[in-house]
Formats: sequence, C-alpha cells, structure tokens
Amino acid sequence: MIPQAVLNEWYPVAMIALVGPRPGRQTQLLGSDIAVFLEDGQIVVQGAKGQRLAVTLRYGHVWACPGTPAHDLFPIPEADQPGRRLVDCGVVRVKCSPLRAVENFLDIAHFPFVHTDVLGAEPHTEVGRYEVQIREDSDEVWATKVHFYQPQAAKSAAGGIVTEYMYRVAAPTAAVLYKTCPNQPDAWDVIGIFVQPLTEEFCEVWPWMALFDDTTPQADLIQFQQMIFLQDRSILENQIPRLLPLDPGKEIPTQADLTSIAYRRWLKRKGLTYGAQMVAA
Amino acid sequence: MSGMWVANGLSQDLPLGVVMAGAWQGAELAIWRSASGRLSAWNDRCPHRGMRLSHGFVRGETLSCIYHGWAYGTDGACSKIPAHPAMVPPAAIKAEVYQCVEAEGVIWVAPAGSDVDLPDLSGLAAVRSVTVQAGLAEVAHALPGFVCEGAVWRGQLDGAAVALVVQDRGALVRIHALGTGDRVKVSRWLDGMMRLAEQGVLA
Amino acid sequence: MKLYDYVLSASCYKVRLLAALMGVKLELEAVDFHPGQAHKSAAFRAINPAGTLPVLVDGDLVLSESTAMLVYLAQASGKIWLGDATPASAAKVQNWLAFSARLGASLGMARLHDMLLYPGDIEAFRRTGVECLRELESHLTEARFAGRIFLVGDSPTIADIACFPNVALAPDGGVSLDDYPSIRLWSRAVRALPRFIEMPGIHRLHELKPTPEAVPPLESL
Ligand code: FES
Repeated sequence: MIPQAVLNEWYPVAMIALVGPRPGRQTQLLGSDIAVFLEDGQIVVQGAKGQRLAVTLRYGHVWACPGTPAHDLFPIPEADQPGRRLVDCGVVRVKCSPLRAVENFLDIAHFPFVHTDVLGAEPHTEVGRYEVQIREDSDEVWATKVHFYQPQAAKSAAGGIVTEYMYRVAAPTAAVLYKTCPNQPDAWDVIGIFVQPLTEEFCEVWPWMALFDDTTPQADLIQFQQMIFLQDRSILENQIPRLLPLDPGKEIPTQADLTSIAYRRWLKRKGLTYGAQMVAA
Repeated sequence: MSGMWVANGLSQDLPLGVVMAGAWQGAELAIWRSASGRLSAWNDRCPHRGMRLSHGFVRGETLSCIYHGWAYGTDGACSKIPAHPAMVPPAAIKAEVYQCVEAEGVIWVAPAGSDVDLPDLSGLAAVRSVTVQAGLAEVAHALPGFVCEGAVWRGQLDGAAVALVVQDRGALVRIHALGTGDRVKVSRWLDGMMRLAEQGVLA
Repeated sequence: MKLYDYVLSASCYKVRLLAALMGVKLELEAVDFHPGQAHKSAAFRAINPAGTLPVLVDGDLVLSESTAMLVYLAQASGKIWLGDATPASAAKVQNWLAFSARLGASLGMARLHDMLLYPGDIEAFRRTGVECLRELESHLTEARFAGRIFLVGDSPTIADIACFPNVALAPDGGVSLDDYPSIRLWSRAVRALPRFIEMPGIHRLHELKPTPEAVPPLESL
C-alpha cells in the first residue's frame, strides 16, 4: 500500500518539449504504468485504468499527481526572473531509490572524489559548518551558508575559489540548489533535480537549470550538467541498500550530512516513505 | 569457533594496492591488499552512506571509499573523514571485518574468529578464475572424471594435475583453477568446460 | 583538428582519450545528442550524412568512424600507438578495432538502453556483451601468462583505447565486471597511463595521487 501522503504529491513525468501524440511517453509512476501524450493540444497523463491524473506544466516539465493534490506545485520564483535562461537537460534512468538520488544532490562532501577537478579536489575536502532548517511556512528543507572550495568555478577563473551554495528540498523527489555565480556576484545560478519515482528502487532524473548566461552554447550547458549527473550515477547504483534508510542504523552521518539528516527526518515526519527503508537492516 | 572458508580468488589477481569485490555466503565483500601486502576482507558497505567499498581506492595501508573518501585502516577502523580534516573519527565507525588469508596462491575468507582450516593445494600453480553461469550440478556434469573433496575438484588434463576450487554463488559458480601443466592449455580447457556447463542449463 | 563530441558517448571518448594520451589538442564542439537529437538534424547531416557521433574534421578530411580517427591520430604522430610494424601485429590491432564494434553493439547498446532509455532487447545486448567480455578476458589472461598486460604487444595501442570505453562502462548497462580479473587489471593499466582522462562512469585512480597534505581551514580562505 502506498501511503496517501505519497500519492498526493507532485512528480515530474516528462519534458514538456518532448511530449508527442499517442501513444506518447509510456512510463511508470510509483510502480503503476502511465502514458504522457498530447491530445487536442493538451498534455494528458493517463493511468493504467484509463484515469486522468492531475497535471501541472512548470519548469519545462510535466508534473503529475496520482492522488488528490495536497497543495500547488512548489514555486521557483527565479524561473520567471527576466534574463534567466531555462535549460532542460533531458532524462537519465538510474537503478536506485528516488530518495537516494535527491539525497546525493544535497551532498557536497563527495565533490572532490566523484566530480574531481570540476566541483572539488583534494586536499580541499573540508565542509564547513552550515545552517539547516525545516521551514514551517513553506514546509521545505533548507540548507544555507554552505561553503566549499571549488578548483575551477568557471572557465575564466584562474585557480580555485570558495563557492557558496543554498540547498532546498521543495518536494519529496525534487530539490533545487542555488550557487554563487562567478560572473554575477549578486545573483545565484539555480539548478534543479526533478526525480520521477518509477518504483521504489528505480527512478528517472531530469536535471534543469535557470542561469544568467547568454554566451555558452546550449549543448555545452546540457553536457556539463549531464557529465556531473552521470558521475553520480555510478555511485547511486552501488549504494547498499538501494532504499534510503530513514532510521539511524547502519549509516553513520557527520556534521557535513546535516542536510541529509534533515531530509530523512522530514520524509519520515510527513510519511513520505516511498523508496525508504523503515527498519534498519 | 569456526566458520566456513570460502575461496575468493587468486593472489595473482589482487596485486599490491588493489581492491576487488568478493562474497561470503550471501554477504558481499570488498577484498583488498595494502601497499605492504596485507590482505583484508570487509563487508562491501561503507558505514557512512552504504557505498560499495570495492569501488574504493587503496593508499598505503588504508582503503578509501570512492564516495566521500572516508579512509579505513587494515583493522577496519575509520582513520580519516576528509570533510572534517581536523576530526579524529569516533571508534564506532568501523567496517565489518572478515578473516582473510592466502595459501598456495588462493585467497580465502571466513567470518572473524574462524580457525584456519584449508585444503591442501601444495605443488599446484594458480591458473585463472572463471565464472560459470550455471549451478553446481551443471558444473559437476561438465567435469567427468573429477573427484570432489569439499570445495575442491581434482582431476587430470593430459596427464597433468588440475584442481578447481569452487565458490558456489547460487545462480553462478566461480572456479579458481590451479594445475601443474601448461597454463594456456588449462585456461582454454576451462573456456570449453564453461560452455558445456552452461549448455546443461539451457538443455 | 575539430571533434564533434558528446560527453556521454563511449565512441567520442575513445578519440578524446587517445588525443589526451598523445598530448594532441582537439577543438571540441559539443553536439546536443540527448535530449536534443541534434546529430539527426539537417545541419549536422550536412557534416556527417550518417547522423552519428563522433565526427573528426581536419582540413578537408572528415571522418565518421571512431576507430578510423584512432588510426589517423596514431599515424600522424610517431606511430607508437599502432604496435610494432610487423604484419601480424598490424593485423591484430585491426582485429581488436573490429572487435570494439561488437562491444559497442552489445555493451554500448545495453548502456544506452539502461541510461538514456534507448529501445531494444536488453537481455540480448547483455548476453552478447558477456560473450565479448569472456573473449577479452581469455585473451588478456593468456597475455598475462606471457608477462604482458595490453592487448597487442608490450605497450598500449589503439586496440586498447578502442576497446576500453565500452568495457569499462559495462556496469552502466547492468553488466558486472566482477567476473573478469584480467580485464580489471588491464583496465587499471589503461587508467594508470600518463595523461589519462576520465569520462562519467569511468573514474580515475585516486590512488595515483599521494595522500594529501593538510591545508588551511576553509574559514581562512
Ligand atoms: S559512503 Fe563511504 S565515505 Fe561516504
């Protein structure tokens, strides 16, 4: 039985630009078959029994809710900010819990080892103290004042700089990061990860960006994001167990994992346990 | 106390500073050799966030996890957490350690505290390890004339002794082969034996 | 020399890798293969009618097969990546270049299926992939008996570079490499080559770098 709280959330199921007529995109959501297609100029998400799911079109993607939406889809105000370029990066399938994919996105300590010489490099492995809160008003997890040494923050930057990040869990399987933008010190680059839970142990991931960058060719921006995510994929497919453990058991966090701890606690509190392991094993 | 010893590969396939995946019964393992030659076998699961340690890297006498670089000494205890360079890791952070020994070129693993009790493979030279996608019964069928003594099947190939140390992994069987004859000949014979055993599965 | 490139393509990586190992600089032009399908566009087909990646352009020369690009790069500088000059060695290198196409059609397709949702018979891709890996493992095992580690002769050649990517990326397509000890050591030998570069799904050998010295705390930077 899938908890009602899980069914009442929004999940990404397709990239708007790629949706075509029937049969359209045949895929899965929470273990059930769904189809995403165009009908009379409208995007439809249809369940296995022919039922139509609630749909929201936002941030380049089709979002569906298999139950009764508990709330509107989360806002990303930057998506409407003039001058930002919105980039859809396509889909990548990963053999892991959708929650593991989100947790990895919230993590910085792996940069020097998994994104070596791009987002981090030894010996600059330290994760400083940062702030984490579960914001009651928006019901989101936020991590702020996250600092990390980045060897090559931008093509132009000679040597490394300390980059600041903010992380935000906006939905059980969607997170957004804000990163200081080397070209524009007062603005943040915004990068999202939208995860479609196919099953508890299988997901499809849609990276998305909203950047101040008029010059870099689209293909380069997409490739950069795909490169980063595909470096993570070989990690995600090799974590044991495949489900995300919500009980403190065999996985030991440290101070650098405060965001992950808050995410797990938030999921548990809200009963968003699809893709989670409840009893440590 | 004694647990069963399971062959997990050949010494020649695990040089200094290398880690590989192994198994004991149902448990998946990371087996590695330090720069000084010390062998270790651990549960293949990093205590931090569950990453397989067999994907990690060996520096000197430590194995580091590929995900966040946590380093573990040969006793399994975490010695360094790169995200907190100044912190001494708590003693509770420890890989689950198995016993690991090698004899006559074969690497063996058992639960910690097991008495060492290994078959006699003296006088034989290691050839290679192969993995057969078949059960033990099909493998036995493909080895006419071989005699089974526990985990070791002994027989002859063109007058030279051959010993096959068998690691049963349920749906597949890993075979660590040793012999006195020409290694190329034994290796090619193994390729044929595998095909024969797997045809047994298809039949 | 300009390479039309896609960062997740094993075939593009072959060319980037050999160029890096040889110290040859390539001008890279990213093509939006996924999700944009830009390699199927009319504009791209004007460069390569086959609509495939990579494409290498050097003056008037346009190449659309990655193994031909390896030959071209290797011929152009000293030929040490072509093996020794004997007919047997040259033929063996060609044999492995052809073999690498089988790797692409099996392990490579399994990876595209599992990762980028390409259609196809995944079980067939994996089964033929395992057959290829076994052939490779047996060959490399015999090479090790003779004290060698690479595919042809005593030093690395374009044969190794052609086969390495789809083999190392096999787990991306759900094919484990745990069963092949000689492939594991060969893959380490390739990754240990000076100037080796990685691609997503193939990580570098972090152990080649010494344990880092302490640096000032983050707060002071
Ligand atoms: S999972 Fe191993 S160091 Fe984090």
